[in-house]
Amino acid sequence: MITAQALYIGFFGLAAVWFGIVVFRTFSMVRSALALLFSQTALGAMFLSMQAEFLGVLQIMMMATEMSIMAIFMVMFMMDPGGLGKMDMTHQKRLSLVAGIVSFVAAVAVAVFVDWGPIASVAPDAAQQTVDLGLELLGRSMLIFETAGITILTAMIAATAVAIPPVKRNPSKGTANHEH
Amino acid sequence: MILGARLGRPSKLRRLIAAAMARDLTTFLIPGPEVVRTYGLDVDAAGLKVVASPRHASVLLVAGVTISPALRDAAAVIYAQMMRPRAIFALGAGELSPLPTADVIAGLSQQGLIQGVRQLREAFAEGAFRPDVSDFDAPILHVRIEYTCPMHPEVVQNEPGSCPKCGMFLVPRDVQVKSSHGHHDHTHSQEHQHHNVDHDDAAVEYTCPMHPEVVQSEPGSCPKCGMFLEPRKTRAELPADHHQHAHSPEHEGHGMAHDAVVEYTCPMHPEVRQNEPGSCPKCGMNLVPNETQDAQTHEHAGMDSATDHGSMDHSGMDHEDMAFMSMVDVTKDLPRSSDGLPMEWIDAPFGPFFPGLPGGLLLTLTLDGDTVAGSAARPLTNNLDLSQHPSTDSTSFIEQLAGMDPLAPIAYRLLACRALENAAGLDVPVSTAAARIGALERERITSHLGWLALFGQQTGFNWLMQHAASLQLACLHADVTQAMVLKPVMQTLIKRLQRTPLLKSRTEGIGRLTADTALRGPVVRAAGINNDARSMETTYTTLGFTPVSREGGDALARLHVRLDEVSHSLALIEAAGAIELPALADIGDVSGTGEAVVETPRGMARLQLTLERGQVITAQLETPSTHHITLINSLTEQQSLGDALVAVGSLDLSPWEIRQ
Amino acid sequence: MTTALLLLLLAVGAYLVAVIEDWTTSGRFRLAAPAFAALALLGRESIVPRKSDRVFFETAPVLLLISALLAATVIPLTANLIITDLATGALFINAALVYVLVALLMAGWGPNGAYAMIGGWRFLGQLIAYAMLIVMPITAVVMRAESLLTTQIVVSQAGLWNIVYQPLGFILFFVASMALAFLPPFDLTTAKGELAGGVEAEYSGARLAVFRLGRLVLIITLAAAIVVFYLGGWQGPWLPPWAWSAIKILAVTTMMLLAGRYMPRIRETDLLGWCWMLGIPLALLNILLVGLLVLVLP
Repeated sequence: MITAQALYIGFFGLAAVWFGIVVFRTFSMVRSALALLFSQTALGAMFLSMQAEFLGVLQIMMMATEMSIMAIFMVMFMMDPGGLGKMDMTHQKRLSLVAGIVSFVAAVAVAVFVDWGPIASVAPDAAQQTVDLGLELLGRSMLIFETAGITILTAMIAATAVAIPPVKRNPSKGTANHEH
Repeated sequence: MILGARLGRPSKLRRLIAAAMARDLTTFLIPGPEVVRTYGLDVDAAGLKVVASPRHASVLLVAGVTISPALRDAAAVIYAQMMRPRAIFALGAGELSPLPTADVIAGLSQQGLIQGVRQLREAFAEGAFRPDVSDFDAPILHVRIEYTCPMHPEVVQNEPGSCPKCGMFLVPRDVQVKSSHGHHDHTHSQEHQHHNVDHDDAAVEYTCPMHPEVVQSEPGSCPKCGMFLEPRKTRAELPADHHQHAHSPEHEGHGMAHDAVVEYTCPMHPEVRQNEPGSCPKCGMNLVPNETQDAQTHEHAGMDSATDHGSMDHSGMDHEDMAFMSMVDVTKDLPRSSDGLPMEWIDAPFGPFFPGLPGGLLLTLTLDGDTVAGSAARPLTNNLDLSQHPSTDSTSFIEQLAGMDPLAPIAYRLLACRALENAAGLDVPVSTAAARIGALERERITSHLGWLALFGQQTGFNWLMQHAASLQLACLHADVTQAMVLKPVMQTLIKRLQRTPLLKSRTEGIGRLTADTALRGPVVRAAGINNDARSMETTYTTLGFTPVSREGGDALARLHVRLDEVSHSLALIEAAGAIELPALADIGDVSGTGEAVVETPRGMARLQLTLERGQVITAQLETPSTHHITLINSLTEQQSLGDALVAVGSLDLSPWEIRQ
Repeated sequence: MTTALLLLLLAVGAYLVAVIEDWTTSGRFRLAAPAFAALALLGRESIVPRKSDRVFFETAPVLLLISALLAATVIPLTANLIITDLATGALFINAALVYVLVALLMAGWGPNGAYAMIGGWRFLGQLIAYAMLIVMPITAVVMRAESLLTTQIVVSQAGLWNIVYQPLGFILFFVASMALAFLPPFDLTTAKGELAGGVEAEYSGARLAVFRLGRLVLIITLAAAIVVFYLGGWQGPWLPPWAWSAIKILAVTTMMLLAGRYMPRIRETDLLGWCWMLGIPLALLNILLVGLLVLVLP
């Protein structure tokens, strides 16, 4: 059923965009983070609609964890973790606008102009996709993914290090606070 | 029929539901499970399920005769939070106001409890839904909104605005109109109100909580970080008494100057300058605001703020229009807790009926995330000042003292008896003295078991909670033979606790106290000091008592000391061979002064009194919990919430004996 | 048809979990108690606290239930009794269960109460502790089965159950499952004596009923997942396959519920410290060992 599939893709696509808009239309950090989460979940659902089962499930799983971790970072960086003080989620509007338009155009350009090769009439079944993906990850693209993984890890550790200032031992207060 | 019925015409389905409710009665205990147990009540066996949140309870069980007005107010708040259908079940309770009249009243005994539960079931089955219900209202429930700073809880005022210390938005919170808690905040808020009124004619301008240099006359969002600008009154914020604001006028001034001084210039043609934004007449580019002059003053202000701790003056920040909003910079001056993360502060009440803390104790923790940033503790129990009491005869004096603390009635009865005997110059026969010690030691066991049950409840150690509670109930009125029957069970319990996983990590190093002579009872003995009033009594020495202590001074050591004391008390009961409640012989019309000391389960209590012709004229009581409650602040500070509660719990405070 | 049957079985299972939980907390075995409790909850008022985040408050219990239900769809009770045998089943369980965290965060944030909020954030910390210990043992299980299909994972244990083949993974996954279902001693998020119910504290009436139902389904789903991954699923002698599944699942549930009764709640610091400094190295070791076994054994 091509039409049903198209309908699903359209629905989840719209949901993803709508949640993406909500990210900036709300005044609370927590709502914003969760809106982003559901936007990414909708993307995962789009993958599923496109019969990319492994990628879809992975996206749905990873994004929930990632966005929650992002919420932790939010808590670390913002003294206002939940947006008790109302906060406008938009800033640096001009720059963001420009960056948004540029990346949109770039994405569309990539979608339109790249030669995607012959279009498969039938998607391979999910198990086969998983096998293919595994071979791809551990073969040709291994270096790329390993590099990306280590970069992300480094970024996370660096961000944590930046978030927490070096503990200055205060002799008068004692070190009892750090015992537990 | 119950007063707190839910609105609705009884239908067939509703009758079914009401029948189910009658079978599933959940209860919230006033003043708390540990007190209810000392009355010998087994709530669980009576078929009531104790829950932790009033929202999940259908029955409010109020037990005991003397519930102080402050506690009744707190109970009214609890009742208001319960979901309808709800009922009040009074067990031997006297005055309940502002609570409505109890739906079921019974005597303070297990039999009364069981009977009352039966009545409650009938009342729920018949009257859980009624077409006409009235709302519960009490003065304590009326709230007004006051505003407080998320970072500086001490800032409280009646009107919205910004924090004088950090400039953040004040956030609204509810407070009771009729405050039983006598918050010291109130004096604060009046002050604030006062000076706000004073300056009511001040002009309103809008500024960013993060960037004080952003000031404009209209609402909007900050061009630097996007936060909403908040209104402030220009001159309302210049209280001379706040030394943090010594530089405030300068600041304000330069906020104004900012508006006036900003010039717009072309990035390509510096010679183009004008006072309004626009485009360059030469190249058509957008003019950018030129703020060099400002930056200098800012730096100056930034230096000022470095000296005043806690102020959130981030004027020294970047001034690039497009600069990324750096929260590291923004929060760098804020006070930090031990985890190094500044977060909004919440004042959370733990008590006076908090599961896991002794009932009647109000602990207010200022939480910085999961970390305790500050605390305040006080009892809401009605603690009579003995010295200001009119003269009473000896019998009612004993009853008064024995009824004071439901957690240690025998110890205080003994204390009163001993002091009176001392004043009257009476001697107690050796056998009576030994039998009294039997009663005191039995109370020590039940008290420690009650503490263990509370500890189990606090830490979610279900088995300990139930096992210790049932042992406590069994031991409460046990005679010597019954106590000896319970001995192996208690020893198994103690052994079991020694090899319970996670117990050590949960308590070790928590609430560490250094050895201090102001400490009493198990708390001081856990800190390695052998301080025990019992070692000075000859009766104890003849019974073979040797004081014990443990090193460590943490919650684990206190747990072990209490467990040790349970076995030692069992041995003492066995040696004493009898258990007899202290009672006073007729002392006649004697006059004189007397003093006595008793090692209560929580530590040494001392009573001094003056007798005049058989009447107690003055009395002075010193109790262990009065000393220990002052430790809470240092024990909880910068601890995570769970550890702080374990630390407070390990002190085994009895709010009922605290003298203010 | 299969779907309806499995949902019915899931409902029965959740009810039995409630009975067992009641037994482990109160010490009495009452078959009818959960029914009364559920009816009573439905009949009671259910209010939304003032100044709450309505969307989060309403969504959270439903999301908890849905995520547990979704995870249950890929769990086979027999070779054919499965709602959908996804090619990515083992991964899908994890994906669905991550939303338990989202639900609890919402439930913590929604009611605008201090106890609930701390409970919600605590669970986020808990996720950081247990998440890796869910994923990595599953990886080792999948390595042996050479498939993400849950039915295939069961079949792969025909000769030797994974509890023997990779005991380390079993222990880690069992503990992490208890943490995921916030069962004692990992009930930091609902801690009764510390937070007066935490995320549950502000829920009442029907909403609380949905929340508790979600948690019961979550527990039974996790127990079923443990059975599928480590205890050979429906396999066993003499009895029919469905009976084996039922027995094993109920046994695992009882173990999960009983364990927390005999110890105090863990400290959050300890949980994080042990999970990262002990749990993750062990999980990596488990993957290594299983990898070697897969290579060595035929």
